[in-house]
Amino acid sequence: MTFAVELKGITKRFGAFTANSGIDLAVRQGEIHAIIGENGAGKTTLMNVLFGLLQPDEGTISVNGKPMAIDSPAVAINEGLGMVHQHFKLVPSLTVADNIFLGMEIRRRGLIDRAAQVERTRALSQKFGLKVDAQERVAGLSVGIEQRIEILKVLARNARTIILDEPTAVLTPQESRDLFQTLRSFVDDGMTVIFISHHLEEVMAVSDTITVLRDGRVVATRPKQELTKRELVRLMVGRDVSFDRRPRHIVQGESVLEIEDLWARDDRRLAALKSATFSVRAGEIVGIAGVAGNGQTELAEVLSGLREASHGSAKLHGKELVGCTPAEIRDLGLAHVPGDRLARGVDRNAALSTNILMGRQKKAPFAKNGIINWTVVQDEMRALIKRFDIRARGPRDVARSLSGGNIQKVVLAREFTAGGDMLLIDQPSRGVDIGAQEAIHDEIMRQRAEGRAILLISTQLDELKALADRIIVMFEGRIMGVVDGNTMDEDAIGLMMAGVDPSDVKEDE
Amino acid sequence: MKTALLPDGLIRTLAGQALAFVVALSLGAVIILMIDESPIAVFMTLMRGAFGDAEKIAGTLLQTTPILICGIAACIGLRGGMFNVGIEGQLFLGGFAAAWVGFAFALPPFVHIIVAVACAILAGAAWVAIPAYFRVRYGTNEVVSTILANYIAVLLTSYFTIFLFKRPGGWSETPPILPTAYLPELFSFSRLNIGLLIGLFLAIATAAFFRWASAGYAATMVGSAPKFAEYGGINVRKVGFSVLLASGAVGGLAGGIETLGVHHRFMEGFAPGFGFDGLIAALLANGSPIGTIFTALFFGALRAGSLLLEVDTTASREIITVIQALIILAVSADLMMRRRGDRTGERRWKF
Repeated sequence: MTFAVELKGITKRFGAFTANSGIDLAVRQGEIHAIIGENGAGKTTLMNVLFGLLQPDEGTISVNGKPMAIDSPAVAINEGLGMVHQHFKLVPSLTVADNIFLGMEIRRRGLIDRAAQVERTRALSQKFGLKVDAQERVAGLSVGIEQRIEILKVLARNARTIILDEPTAVLTPQESRDLFQTLRSFVDDGMTVIFISHHLEEVMAVSDTITVLRDGRVVATRPKQELTKRELVRLMVGRDVSFDRRPRHIVQGESVLEIEDLWARDDRRLAALKSATFSVRAGEIVGIAGVAGNGQTELAEVLSGLREASHGSAKLHGKELVGCTPAEIRDLGLAHVPGDRLARGVDRNAALSTNILMGRQKKAPFAKNGIINWTVVQDEMRALIKRFDIRARGPRDVARSLSGGNIQKVVLAREFTAGGDMLLIDQPSRGVDIGAQEAIHDEIMRQRAEGRAILLISTQLDELKALADRIIVMFEGRIMGVVDGNTMDEDAIGLMMAGVDPSDVKEDE
Repeated sequence: MKTALLPDGLIRTLAGQALAFVVALSLGAVIILMIDESPIAVFMTLMRGAFGDAEKIAGTLLQTTPILICGIAACIGLRGGMFNVGIEGQLFLGGFAAAWVGFAFALPPFVHIIVAVACAILAGAAWVAIPAYFRVRYGTNEVVSTILANYIAVLLTSYFTIFLFKRPGGWSETPPILPTAYLPELFSFSRLNIGLLIGLFLAIATAAFFRWASAGYAATMVGSAPKFAEYGGINVRKVGFSVLLASGAVGGLAGGIETLGVHHRFMEGFAPGFGFDGLIAALLANGSPIGTIFTALFFGALRAGSLLLEVDTTASREIITVIQALIILAVSADLMMRRRGDRTGERRWKF
């Protein structure tokens, strides 16, 4: 039979590092083929080879049974391949239609025929069920819609095989579901989809065939029906990883964080956090569950001093946090692992030691009389690399050269050693490998055992199930209910996350 | 590494920039050929004009001084994420303030210099304080506001000079400053003065500040990752304001040194373009104060050399401006290409 795409013995080296080693991949026409693996397993490299962005050192590529050398993306596009990159490449000041036809503008007498472009965009949008407003400017559109535009761009170039690199990393669950439906309809149309991900649930939900990569090699290619989630994890990580609830001693520490009737507005000045009241005790992990965008970010920002509260109070060890600057709140003992790690948590272009210095640049032993002792900082970074098992060559590595999981470990390392006894942790494992996720969970449990009070915000119920002592569910800025972590009922939480009144849900406390 | 006194990969940087210079000079040669001059003669004249003898070298350094100090002012801004395009205006006001103290007050020798320089620094800082306030309070783009402030500064100092201090029938200039306010000269044969040493010291001090001071770290972080800095407890607005103020203060200092050391009075249009040349020197040095020493020296040599060019050849001084522009284009292209290589991991020279 002919395959839409067939790779044989692909090897790609970067200097001494082998990113892909003898990879065989055969994608049948009309299927959704998922390629799964941890960060650094070689997924993106492989797709860049297929799309002509990188040249393989060894191996052959066939498209629709025809062997060929794909030495540029133009060749790949000609052969009906289309790629939707993880980071969108759109021009914000142009309209949707202009973006879609950028580089292949429809022309009439040498001028761009905007009306025809809009017409074509509408037709494509209709045909594939990807709703966009062709004449809207891209600036200000949500990432979900931006992704639709990227897909339309690929479709406008007559792609029959579509490659998506980590398409759901930036989407809300609702947007992800819409995307999967779209992909399904492509396949029903006879098109082929190659879907790169490290997100298990998604891969299990949407794909027909799954290829697992580990350390640049194919460890398995199987139909989805033959795989379970646990097996998939073992193939990806190379060992068993537990998602089970972590064993724990029950500690009844004193109350560290007391929040009462706390309100805050979002960037559009609308109430985003409404009358939140709860407390966190020492040695306790309180989880905040909810679909992204239901006030969790605002809660974290208010507590860390990055956003003004419009009303209410939040006391840390009896001292009011509302109205304090981020620096004052840090001094009171709150450490914050931000949800938007790359913008807030690190300076991507700075060395690890520079990143670890943040917040302590005036404090002994890192600085004396306002002069930084870089030797001490470097030594501290080396010690943290060891203690938190950060995969980096040394303190001079630039943050952006690390994988998402390791960047997160750098943030955790800095915040957990800042001396605060209240940890505010926002989305600790977003975009993080399963292996690294386990290590991060271990570290959070260790912090709990040391008696820290922990507020854990996560959109992943699995994570809260494994870690939290109590789970607070938020919907549209309000606390819908509180559930005990030991006896939690996922359906009840799901209902509360969807905004169903918890009167018929068993309440705890 | 951006926190290093001398950046990592220095050799690669220098090689790239050297190549850029060669490309720019070759293009310059073509243009010189177009005006029927020999490029070699022009370049030799330039070199002779800039470095021909001790006097010429001193002349080059004399031109380098204000460019260097303005360059440092720009570096301070760039490191803190602020694009101070108003150095020219700060230079004019600083120059005027220093001259005013110089001729209007009689003070003991050493004290007179200190007071005049201090007033120049204050004038520069005060002039940038307005755009700086609007930047941190209302988010006004500091590029636009500082550019506009330049026009006001230049015209304001002209107004002061012509309507308040000009001798009837004389040039558009203030009375000369008292000798007690003259900056000490380094050599008997040139007006080259301790301003150059101040500039060099300032360059090293600024580099050390950003490398080792806690406050320098805070400013660097605000410049490179403002959201991270805010999250880490740094007062982004306060630091941004301070950075612009410091940048303006150094700009004012440059003007003070120019009037006290070179002209000994304030003249209308006394320092054409030094502020902008300084900004470009800082940009070419990628915001490194140490690197700015060399880029400023280069611009100083071009300016000094072009004086002889008009005397000895038929090429006009403007040809130097053209070559300067070519160099800026070539060097910034080199910078862009290197950044491109960094970002994708794999170096891709094709566009």
